[in-house]
Amino acid sequence: MIGTSFKLSIAEMCIHLHAESSMMVLEDGYEPFLVNDNTIPEIDVHFIRQKPIFNEAHFKLVFEAQNETQRFYSIYKNADGLCFIIYNQQTIDEVQQIAYLNNDFDSWEIHSTDSVALKYPMGPILMHYLTLKTDAVLMHASCAYDGKKGRMFSGFSGAGKSTMSKIWADAGSVIINDDRLIIRKLEKEFFVYNTPMYYVDQSKKAPLDAIYLIRHASRNSIQKLQGAYAVSRIMAFCIQNNFDSSFISKRINLFTEICSQASIFDLGVVPTPEIIDFIKANE
Amino acid sequence: MDIQTLNSIKSKFVARQVADELVIVPLSGNVAQMNELFTLNETAKIIWENIGENQTIATLKNLLTETFDVDDATAEQDILKFLEQMDVLQKYLN
Repeated sequence: MIGTSFKLSIAEMCIHLHAESSMMVLEDGYEPFLVNDNTIPEIDVHFIRQKPIFNEAHFKLVFEAQNETQRFYSIYKNADGLCFIIYNQQTIDEVQQIAYLNNDFDSWEIHSTDSVALKYPMGPILMHYLTLKTDAVLMHASCAYDGKKGRMFSGFSGAGKSTMSKIWADAGSVIINDDRLIIRKLEKEFFVYNTPMYYVDQSKKAPLDAIYLIRHASRNSIQKLQGAYAVSRIMAFCIQNNFDSSFISKRINLFTEICSQASIFDLGVVPTPEIIDFIKANE
Repeated sequence: MDIQTLNSIKSKFVARQVADELVIVPLSGNVAQMNELFTLNETAKIIWENIGENQTIATLKNLLTETFDVDDATAEQDILKFLEQMDVLQKYLN
């Protein structure tokens, strides 16, 4: 999609993207999230097509998102807010975009070498900071909705989130997403939403009834988790930029509330269709 | 980790009460996944809350034996175990 202005609704939060001097492109995965109504945006994103130039002298480095093989982004801070240096995922050291976020987390300015406005990982970064403005959190998880209950499955890479999704989908459940989700509190209840991905999928929502922290096991097993232990276990699977104590406090408070409303389980899984009946019989 | 070292870095952790326990999270400058978030039970919570400049293992041990129905040896074990846990969490700090 090419244009100079787009309005997106992600987890019922409205984002207004606009470019004044050039066209911008949104990847196809964002198309189902476009809205055309009078909703007042939660955040404003100003896209500027120009080579990003960063003057490090005015900022302090506070966070590096990188692992042994990839460098995703660095976060710098000054009195006006945060600055994100986003690296090209192929060339690693080349700066792909520079994004500035104000202290109220409601105004972004993205400087970009190419026309793709929310090129990965800019999209997830924007969504993470959007959730910090509200009672919401971005999770590494899958979620299946069988028409009665929304069940979220989270775990370490390779734990079987996608496999669980396929098993539930084969049994007729709607898969909200199998990788990245937003949990949001709306009028005292928690809901799960999908977010734009690299592929096209319609915008979806389900109630959040239970969260299963899954792992492979030699037999199906389930254990209910409660209190601080449940909070700390779930928190490990949200997107974490833990350089600011206020972010951490906000997350702990939100997860405490989630744990008081949804059931949390540790689930040992043998990845066969029998896991569905096992869960329903034991939850 | 000793008590004075922990006292010097205590402000780099965020601790929040959930029911009777504490969830403790280190401030971190990198994306290392916090797989080892710790919860502190009532005993560890008392230790955490009383970590300060003038504390020693002996003074904390007295505090635990006065607060809970535990003997000296158990109290000392609890303190050492707590310090070991904090040592693990320390690796995530900025």
